[in-house]
Amino acid sequence: MAMIENRKKKSLIALTMVAPFIVVFSTFFLYPMIEMIRMSFTDAPLVGEGNWVGVDNYIRLIGDRLFVTSLKNNGYFVLLTVVPTTVIALLIALAVSRLKGVAQTLALSLFFLPYVLPVSVVTEIWAWMLDLQFGILQPLIALVSGKPVAVFKNPYWVMPMVALVTIWWTNGFNVLLFIAGLRNIPQELYEAAALDGATRFQRFRRVTWPLLWPVTALVLTLQLILQLKIFDQIYLLSGGGPFNSSYVLLLKVYREAFQMNHGGYASAVATVLFMLIAVVSVLQYQLLRIRRGA
Amino acid sequence: MRLFKTLLLGTALTLGAMPALAKETVIWWDFLSGGDGVRMKALIDGFNKEHPDIQIQGTTLEWGVPFYTKVRTASAVGEGPDVMTYHLSRAPLGLEENVLSEITNEDLATAELKRSDFFEAPIDAATKDGKLYAVPFDIHALILYYNADLLEGSPYLDANGKLTGINSIEDFDAALAWAKEKGVETPVTYQTGGEGGVWRVFYTLLSQQGGEFVTNGEVLSGDNAEKAAKAIDIMSKWRENGWAPEQAEYEASVALFSAGKSAFQLNGVWEVPTFKDLEKSGKLGFKWGAVEVPALLGKRATWADSHAFAIPNEGDKTISGEKRAAVMTVIGWMEKHAIGWADAGHIPAYKAVTTSDEYKAMEPNATYASLAEAAVFDPKTTITGVASPAYDAALNIIAPAIQGYMSGADAVEQIKADLQDKLQ
Repeated sequence: MAMIENRKKKSLIALTMVAPFIVVFSTFFLYPMIEMIRMSFTDAPLVGEGNWVGVDNYIRLIGDRLFVTSLKNNGYFVLLTVVPTTVIALLIALAVSRLKGVAQTLALSLFFLPYVLPVSVVTEIWAWMLDLQFGILQPLIALVSGKPVAVFKNPYWVMPMVALVTIWWTNGFNVLLFIAGLRNIPQELYEAAALDGATRFQRFRRVTWPLLWPVTALVLTLQLILQLKIFDQIYLLSGGGPFNSSYVLLLKVYREAFQMNHGGYASAVATVLFMLIAVVSVLQYQLLRIRRGA
Repeated sequence: MRLFKTLLLGTALTLGAMPALAKETVIWWDFLSGGDGVRMKALIDGFNKEHPDIQIQGTTLEWGVPFYTKVRTASAVGEGPDVMTYHLSRAPLGLEENVLSEITNEDLATAELKRSDFFEAPIDAATKDGKLYAVPFDIHALILYYNADLLEGSPYLDANGKLTGINSIEDFDAALAWAKEKGVETPVTYQTGGEGGVWRVFYTLLSQQGGEFVTNGEVLSGDNAEKAAKAIDIMSKWRENGWAPEQAEYEASVALFSAGKSAFQLNGVWEVPTFKDLEKSGKLGFKWGAVEVPALLGKRATWADSHAFAIPNEGDKTISGEKRAAVMTVIGWMEKHAIGWADAGHIPAYKAVTTSDEYKAMEPNATYASLAEAAVFDPKTTITGVASPAYDAALNIIAPAIQGYMSGADAVEQIKADLQDKLQ
């Protein structure tokens, strides 16, 4: 009897402790998500109710050229950012971890600083640096391509340049994760390996890399989710142009909902993006874990 | 408990005393910044000083999509302003969204206004099925600025130093070629790398050929497509020949003119105060003027839009009674004092102001005021107007086409593909 009472009491305490989270989660995530899915089956405007139209919105999506373009662009952007940003972060982390004391702190904060900036500031900095008429980076571009290029208005340059800006902006956080991972590797392993005459590369290949793999998998997955949600930089730097070459899914959601007043259709696009992120990230994380196990 | 009672009593007393003051507060939202904003704030201050019983409480929000989104969501939950500024080119979408409350004849009478007091084009743009949904405040259009000093010695200035002899695209091109030869860096400047500038020039050139952007629910159908392609090709040629700047952002395009590097500028009337102020402070260094965009392609036409006052539809909370009367008093006062707004370059939509001697003495405003008759508004659709898909297309398709990525005809095909299915 006492046992049962005790258990009841425990559950009650547990419940009170998780309740704030459940309330917040349900109000700000679960409920909006269910609403979004429900709305995607209606022709609702931005505000207010619409009529039930079944899967019409989804059928329309398949035939929507701009939707296909945005899907491709999202994929291209993921290719441009996810692996490069992880590799760069790893290299920076390895270099920084070799530094000691103040030098390390200084280097770390230098790499972390851009991450602190709001996106509007970041895009403004880069827009100015790459301005066709006055940008200080234009001579550098002229060196590569022969003449100054309005990079955010050029169909070939726009995505790689947005990717570059994004990597510069967000890399600090990944570096931090890698540093934490590196610090978790016991020093004895390196000492033992050194005693056995392992070269520096062998030590990296046999000790650092496998033990760092969980962090790497985490960074890759976080990056994938983050980069699929690309919006701010595109909205501020190129507006989806030129010729839709930087048009992405979230921009489509935004334009359909807030500019065109098509709440239902925008919800359909958002639902597709949500599913895409859920499926791809779970899939990727599982694949990466299998690799670790092998 | 006692404290609580005292508080309660105090509150009740204060509330009871309120009607004795009989002060109406009008919540006002606008999107006017820069020179426009300064002038509008001066008008609001002027009104507040003259009307102790009505006080405008103004808030300036961000121009474009953010403004219209906020208005839309705020009015949906009854938290919108009492009165707001609205682009008439945006009215069709506003009507579809049911955001605009009808301005009845009774409302107009309260403001001591009549429909016939206004120019026809903006009234037409604010009307649907015979019902008026906004009170136009101005007409603002694309005009042609010129640098008289740079054109000196050319056949394009008359004895008084006024622009002359540009009656066709050939004349204009010849003038640009003449200026280029004389060493003018960028003979004609406009915002070539942004949506607004590109759309306004494109739409003007299209309209001058008698072309229409949307006819019977179709984007650039029939020979409108060829006319649009021709407009884009003309703009491309200007860039190719080094007559127009490459990928110029708005500020850069204005700076080219004010720095004396351009003989002509195609820009809105709202930049007039910029050059007036520079001239006044002795920083401009050249004589300038502004005229209605000449009929380059046969027909007199120039892109135009209009700022208007509108009352948001907020269901049960849509303002009525005394509050509504106060708002209409505000609107009526603003219209009659629009001379302070004309100072910002705009042409008052209220005819009495535009025909006044005071307005006629304003230069170069009076010179280009004739364009009120040639003003062409964006088509009445949900895909055109400020911050609309048509503006996106200007940035996304027309601007790069001008830079040589694509021919006019191909660009038109893409515009049609992008915009047609949005028209539903």
